Amino acid sequence: MERLRVADLSKTFGAARVLRGVHLAIAPGELHGLVGQNGCGKSTLVKILTGVYTPDSGGSVTVDGRALALPVRPLDARAAGLSVVHQNLGLVDDHTVWENVRLGRYQASRIGRRINRKEEKRQVAEALARLGLELDLDERVGELAAEDRAAVAIARVVQDHVPGGGLIIFDESTRALTKKGRARFFGLVQSVIDSGASVLLISHQLEEIVEVTDRVTVLRDGQVIEGGIATKDTDEAGLTRMMLGRHVVTHSRVDSHARDGVAARVRNLASRSVSEFDLDLKEGEIVGLTGLVGSGAVAVAETIGGARPGRGGVLTVGGTELILSKRRGSTEEFIRAGVAFVAERRLEQGLAAELSVTDNLTLPRVRSRGGRFRTGGGWQAQETAAMIGKLDIKPPDPHALVGTLSGGNQQKVLLGKWLVGQPSVLVLHEPTQAVDVGARHDIINAIREAAREGAGVIVSSVDAADLAVLCDRVLVFRNGQVAGELSGELTADDIIHATFEGPAVEKPGPQQRREELHHQELNRKGVTR
Amino acid sequence: MIAPAPASTPSAPAAAPAPRRKRPAALQHIGSRYSILVVWAALAAVYGVTNTSNFMSVASFRAIFNGQQPLVFMAAALMSTIIVGEFVDLSVPSVFGFAATLVPVLAVSHGWPVWAAIVAAVAAATAVGAIQGYLVVKVHVNTIVVTLGMGTLLTGVGIWMTNDNTISGLPTGLGKIANLDLGGLPVSFYYGVVLIAGFAYLMWFTPLGRHMRFVGASREVSRLSGVRVDRIRFGSFVVAGLLSGAGAVIAVSGFGGYNPTSSDTYLPQVFAVVFLGTAMIEPGRFNPIGTFIGIYFLETGIFGLQLLQLQNWVTNVFYGGVLVIAVTISTLLRRRSS
Repeated sequence: MERLRVADLSKTFGAARVLRGVHLAIAPGELHGLVGQNGCGKSTLVKILTGVYTPDSGGSVTVDGRALALPVRPLDARAAGLSVVHQNLGLVDDHTVWENVRLGRYQASRIGRRINRKEEKRQVAEALARLGLELDLDERVGELAAEDRAAVAIARVVQDHVPGGGLIIFDESTRALTKKGRARFFGLVQSVIDSGASVLLISHQLEEIVEVTDRVTVLRDGQVIEGGIATKDTDEAGLTRMMLGRHVVTHSRVDSHARDGVAARVRNLASRSVSEFDLDLKEGEIVGLTGLVGSGAVAVAETIGGARPGRGGVLTVGGTELILSKRRGSTEEFIRAGVAFVAERRLEQGLAAELSVTDNLTLPRVRSRGGRFRTGGGWQAQETAAMIGKLDIKPPDPHALVGTLSGGNQQKVLLGKWLVGQPSVLVLHEPTQAVDVGARHDIINAIREAAREGAGVIVSSVDAADLAVLCDRVLVFRNGQVAGELSGELTADDIIHATFEGPAVEKPGPQQRREELHHQELNRKGVTR
Repeated sequence: MIAPAPASTPSAPAAAPAPRRKRPAALQHIGSRYSILVVWAALAAVYGVTNTSNFMSVASFRAIFNGQQPLVFMAAALMSTIIVGEFVDLSVPSVFGFAATLVPVLAVSHGWPVWAAIVAAVAAATAVGAIQGYLVVKVHVNTIVVTLGMGTLLTGVGIWMTNDNTISGLPTGLGKIANLDLGGLPVSFYYGVVLIAGFAYLMWFTPLGRHMRFVGASREVSRLSGVRVDRIRFGSFVVAGLLSGAGAVIAVSGFGGYNPTSSDTYLPQVFAVVFLGTAMIEPGRFNPIGTFIGIYFLETGIFGLQLLQLQNWVTNVFYGGVLVIAVTISTLLRRRSS
């Protein structure tokens, strides 16, 4: 009997189907990995399991053979031994270890409703002992090292488990840990598993998924692409490919539009995570920046776009020199110099959901194109109509509120907001994140057209398929430095390999790689059947 | 008789945005947009029927439209910060009271020339706004704490300056600034109309107004679009102080004197009208014309209840109740729009 069985679970928000018929099965004592891109539905699944969201009717969640009532009631979930350790661990920093472990479980005395500290502490000591941990119960949690904090969070959920039962979901819980801390963390996880509990590990760190899990489930666009394949049959590159999906490669490369003129020059860019980065961007050239989380690719893009100050360096655009270490109240100077920055999180950084398409699209130019005392309506209507037509924004209503548009159309409005200003440098961060295939097609075409018209384009992305079809060259970052540069005929596989492999590792020859791919293809088919 | 009054006042400024708003989406909101005008007419009708002799008269019409100038200026001051996302400036009535007290204290007790006292009062209110803006924007202190503390402090200073008395004795000629009769209404009413019309123009038609809207909607989006977020936030506090100061000077000119504690009663009213304004004209958004209508709508309600022999407690119950209802409506409208 499975510890957890999720069957045919779907979730719809308005018009968007976020989960479609998801199946998941976890055996007792298993360490199961769950991977997928941002927006693939991982967090929605977790929120259904913890009762935050109500799933669409038709699905079921079964723990140890008993079906849970849907929507999941938190107390039912706890009684069944189902618990989640979130990314931020859910700890209260000012409180002590024992208070944090017992949070929400205090047993008050019958009369007087007082908390029996002695009894509480005894139970905490017991829970810690089960994990083989020694911690000062009266230490404030804020003072602890990251891995001890994780231990406290684990102790909190483990105490509810009946011996030999329970399931812990770790939702990006390892993010704050160092390499050493991570080893200790997984030691703890192992002892939890040895006691008979199961673990569902959700992580963006494919490296650790491959290292520690028994089986993996891959989600893409709300669907299970691979349900519980044995981890030993796959690797990081294989998982990445499954996460991104082959179907996204709908574009073929086109010829480069790079010209001789210089669009931008970056010298000695430095930030917290990047040291000494130089770049000469030609007019019409599309340069990709990629790398693992924390590698520096994102920091470089955001610094060039003006979104955050660096520690040093100079960006020259047209005749303007911009000191990158200067703190600025806004990106005004960058915009005036001809730099446009298309941010990653469209609703937090890109667009105001409660305001209209026109208002959002024209915002960067409302001062320069409008008069001081009059915004003027003509140019706004013109710009908006031009972008709605060019990017095929739906519905084609300039007065629609941005919040009512679908994700793909919001992304188009965000792109249009900057394209219409005809920037000489266009910096994009994950321009096709969480958009559907059609929107992606329109967005890629629009980026190419900007390059054709002479803009220098910088694309920061972890989506190798995007980079492969768009870029003239791709800079691969590792530990704050450019570890490799790929150019010429790019393929997504080349980019993925360069991202995940150290420079010392020899690239497999094409023959060898084809065999490897073929092997994985067979594996996948075998498992899905 | 009451009919032309509410219709003519709000519809004139409301007509301004009409050409810009011709769109299918507007039609969906048309109900909520102007529903309050219907409620207002109904309210007047009920009062008219139940108390024909008193309510339906020029005198009551005057009473409703006469004395709201302080509230109009305070509401404009609160809107200035609330539109850019500083949710609760609790100091507005206290800054108003402080400036209004300062004029008679300087002019009567200390013998300053009246004009100097007026300039000093407006400057002091503006400076208070600047200090609050600095603390909130640059030092990142919580807005509630800064404005609650500053408001309490200023009320205290006012009481100290006046020994908790009403200082009066401003020259009677000064009263003309506020009380000059123009077509049956005091000139102070028209100051409010001009202020609100100007504010509405700023929000609808100028780049600054657009920037303010975006800062209120999302600071990060604004910053990344080249809007100088901190400058606008700071400026909104300074303007809030300036508006409170200017409004106070006009009000105290009309009253001839001021008691520093009397402005505290304005706090729930100011919030009630500003939030009530979000139910009109631009549903779900803070907007000047909606607020302006809200002021006179509420005053109609209060006035009628008082005519029905209900006493002073009515004001508190009515304003408090409307505040809660208005915020609820505004929250629901916002949720629907996003």
